[in-house]
Order: sequence, then C-alpha cells, then structure tokens
Amino acid sequence: MSLLAVSNLTKRYRRGDKTIAAVDDVSFHIDPGETLALAGPSGSGKSTIARLVLRLIEPDAGRIDFEGDDFLALRSAALRARRASLQMVFQDPLAAFNPRATVARVLDDPLRIHGIASRTERPRRIAALLERVGLTADLAPRAIHEISGGQRQRVAIARAVATKPSLIVLDEAVSALDVSVRGQILDLLLDLQRQERIAYLFISHDLGVIRAIAHRVVLLDAGRIAESGDACAVIDAPQSAIGKALVAAAPRLNRTTQDAS
Amino acid sequence: MSPLRRFLRTPEAFAGAILLAALIAMALSASLLFPGDPQAIAGPAMLPPFQDWSLPLGTDRLGRNVLAELFHGARTSLAVGLTAAAAALVVGAVVGTLAGFAGGIVDEVLMRITDAFQTVPSFLLALAFVSVVGPSLGIVVIAIALGTWTGPARVARAEVLSIRERDYVAGARVIGMHPLAIAFREVLPNALPPVLAMSSVIVAAAILTEAALSFLGLGDPNRVTWGGMIAEGRTVLRTAPFLSIVPGIALVLTVLGVYLAGEGIVETTAVRRGLS
Ligand SMILES: Nc1ncnc2c1ncn2[C@@H]1O[C@H](COP(=O)(O)OP(=O)(O)O)[C@@H](O)[C@H]1O
Ligand SMILES: [Mg+2]
Repeated sequence: MSLLAVSNLTKRYRRGDKTIAAVDDVSFHIDPGETLALAGPSGSGKSTIARLVLRLIEPDAGRIDFEGDDFLALRSAALRARRASLQMVFQDPLAAFNPRATVARVLDDPLRIHGIASRTERPRRIAALLERVGLTADLAPRAIHEISGGQRQRVAIARAVATKPSLIVLDEAVSALDVSVRGQILDLLLDLQRQERIAYLFISHDLGVIRAIAHRVVLLDAGRIAESGDACAVIDAPQSAIGKALVAAAPRLNRTTQDAS
Repeated sequence: MSPLRRFLRTPEAFAGAILLAALIAMALSASLLFPGDPQAIAGPAMLPPFQDWSLPLGTDRLGRNVLAELFHGARTSLAVGLTAAAAALVVGAVVGTLAGFAGGIVDEVLMRITDAFQTVPSFLLALAFVSVVGPSLGIVVIAIALGTWTGPARVARAEVLSIRERDYVAGARVIGMHPLAIAFREVLPNALPPVLAMSSVIVAAAILTEAALSFLGLGDPNRVTWGGMIAEGRTVLRTAPFLSIVPGIALVLTVLGVYLAGEGIVETTAVRRGLS
C-alpha cells in the first residue's frame, strides 16, 4: 500500500471575476522510502499541491490518504499529532524560521510538541540532530540569522527529521543554494532516505536535480498532470509538449543527453 | 555607536530623558523627602513660594505643602500613566493578534467591538466609567485603558495580517504547534515593534486623561494628583495663581518629557533596524 495517495485533488482560486484551477484533478501516489518529484513551469501548481498535502490549505475536491488514513478527515489535535509523520522543508531557509529564533529553539519545538524527549534530554537530542545533518553541536545557541544559508537549510532538514517522519515535502528546497552546497544537501537527503526510509515529495523546476534524486517524476502544466513516470525515462525522452519544453530549457541537461547520444 | 549614545546625541531625546528622569526621581523620592501624609496641614494657608525655605513652593488654601503635593502627585501621574498605557497595550496587542491571526468570524466580532469602543471619544468613555463605578486608582486606570486599547489593537492586527502569511508561520503549523502558541509565541513578538512605538503617545495621553479626571473631581480622593491641585488652585486663581501654575507646568513638562523620550527611542531603534 502506498504511503501517500492523492486522488482527483482540485484547488481553485478566484482571480477577479473568473476562477482559475491552480490544481486541477491531480492524482499521484508515493511509496514508503520513495522520492517523487513534481516539476513544471512557474505557476503550474507545484507549491499549491505541497500546501494541500500538508493541510496548510484545504482542497475544493479530492482525497488524500496518508499512512492508510483519510488525511483530510483529521481535525485539530488529531491532525497536529499526525503532523509528526509529515514534514516540510521550504525554499528560503531564512523565511522558514522565526527571525528571533535560535538553532536550539527551532529544534526544541518539534521535540517538545510531540513529547519525543523530556526537557532534560532535549539538549542532547538537539546535539545529535545537528550532528546527523552534518553540523556541530556548538551551533545550537546561535541565532538563525547568524548562520550561513547552507547551514540553515541543514537545520531545516534537522527540524524536519526530528519527529521521525515517513514523508517530507521539499518545495524548491535546494533552489536557493549555491551549486556546491546544493550537491552536499542532496547527498544528505539521499543518505537520510537510505538510513531512515523517508519518502520525499520533491518539488523543483531543475530537471538535473530531479534526475539525480527522484525515482519517479510528475510533470505539471497549468495545474494538470501532463506526464508522469520513471524520472530518468521521462527526462531523457519526454512525450508531452511541456516535458519537451522543460528539457529544452535545461542547458546542463541538454549537453549530457547530447553527449550520450 | 551604541544605541544609548546615539539616543542621547539627539537634543530632543536628551531633553526628554532628563525630564523623564526628573519625574521618576520625584516619584521615587516622594515618601523619602516628604514622609507622612502630603495632604496634612504643614503651615499657614496660602503661603506664596520662596518665602519660607521649609516650604519652598508655599502652601495651598488649606496650608498643605505644595512641594510635597507636587512630588506625591508625580507618583500618581506616573503610576496611572504607565499602568493604564501598559494595560491598553497588552489588551490591544492580544485582541489585535487574535483578530488578525484567527480571521473569519473571530476577526469580525473583535473588530466590531473595537469599532464600537473607537466611536465613543475616549475621554467621555473614561468619564462615564468612573462616574458609574466610582473613583479609585484602579478604576481610573481601567477607565483610561478602555479608551486607548483600540489604537494598539488595530496596529497589531495589521501587522499580524502580514506576518501570518510568512513561511515560518506555515512551518510552525507543520511541526504541529497549537494555533494559540503560534499566535502568541511566534507571531505576536514580531508584531510588537510598531505597537510599542505608540507607547509614548499613549502614556502621555493617559497622564493627561488622569489629570483631567482629577480636575473634574473624579480622581482617587485619597491621593494627591496634579489635576486635583489645579482644580483646587482654580478657586483662588486671582489671589494665588501659583497654586494652579506649578502643577500645570509639572504636567506640561511631564507630557513633553514622555513624548520626546519616546520618540527618541523609536527613532534610534528605527535607525538600528534600518541599518541591519
Ligand atoms: N493564495 C492564492 N490566491 C490566488 N491565487 C493563487 C494563490 N496561490 C497560488 N495561486 C495561483 O495558483 C497558481 C499556481 O501557483 P503555485 O502553486 O504557487 O505554482 P508553482 O509553485 O508551480 O510556481 C498560480 O497561477 C498562482 O497565481
Ligand atoms: Mg512554487
């Protein structure tokens, strides 16, 4: 049985006097420990799907099953408790944290909220989390705005894995990072997935990154699924018009496919 | 340059700080310098200032020491001004945060209540409240706060409306934080700066309102107040104008000091935020 199954998900927004479907009858599933990528041009509905899956916004139609339960039926306390299993990493790691927070507080919150560790035990858990994502424990007392972008994204990943989730949604999580840092973060994500069997819903407009990390890919165009399948197969030989356009627009990718042929 | 140095370099802020420091010193030293009841008779009635050096500012119609009254009045002004302003800021920030963060029907109801309070002039509201409930220090504080919390509430709500769309609020929801914890731990502290920037004006207004209530005889009768002293002096305005002028000047300088120092603080923190 799949970990996450999204069926006929639809979300409409009113713009002026007409409504547009930001997400239009979208269905997909993710298996445990699998990475599914969502790709598509800007405005194709990727972030809206992420927010729907995380119950940050409510859909107009459709169904979301997570860990075998009707996820949309969960309310208040039950939903908050279940959130331990479904985490998120944002694009801009600076905007994703309270500007007043310290690294320790950011990691303390999930441990406290979900009762994962007692007050006395938490500092040790925080140190372990920092080390798990390749940082040192002496970063804990630092303010979030004092550390580098790459360190911040590692802290964001540490926060996401603090509650031992089965699925993490990453919305353009490496897009704002330097190329060298990006590679390190992707390695960290692959390592975490191997060790803890976490599934990823990996949103990116960068097909090169998707090819490197995702098992399967779903291509979106104006809120609808244009194409989906094995990540390498779809990127190497796109069938849909939007798939061809996206591949043509990715220069690095072009070269590798030409070299191969 | 340290914020304190920069603050003290602006002449207005410096003057404000001096005035405020003098006021606080008066309030704190009142019972040390003038122990006992400031409303007790201390000498002959209506002694003009600078005649008797044990009563430097003279005495009032009943022979009470004007300087002692002035010091004890500073205490009342400061106590009422600060507590009323603090109450208004706390209530305003909480109501504004709840309205802005919850949205929907909660927002609608809270903002209608805010509108209702705002349509009544705040002084009338204070006047009516004290007239009905009766004058005491606590009631005067509540009366003043009743008319002033709406400004901070609106500012806090506007700020919260923009903050609640930020990623970090979504992040707090994703880790399962309770909505009230998000509103008060994550959002409210970041919405505070523009609310706190209003505090000097609110403290100054609260001190004036307290004086006006006391002037109308609606202050706490067991305490010396500057408003009460002015009212008292008014009956003998022709023969002893100093009895009204002295507390009047104290009031003006206090309001000016609070306002200037407050603006100075806002200015320096704004500069600091602008630089970082
Ligand atoms: N809160 C909103 N109100 C109105 N329209 C929105 C809102 N959020 C997203 N949209 C619209 O939905 C569409 C999809 O947006 P989004 O999911 O952010 O795309 P992507 O992440 O793929 O760039 C866009 O046309 C966007 O303008
Ligand atoms: Mg997006």
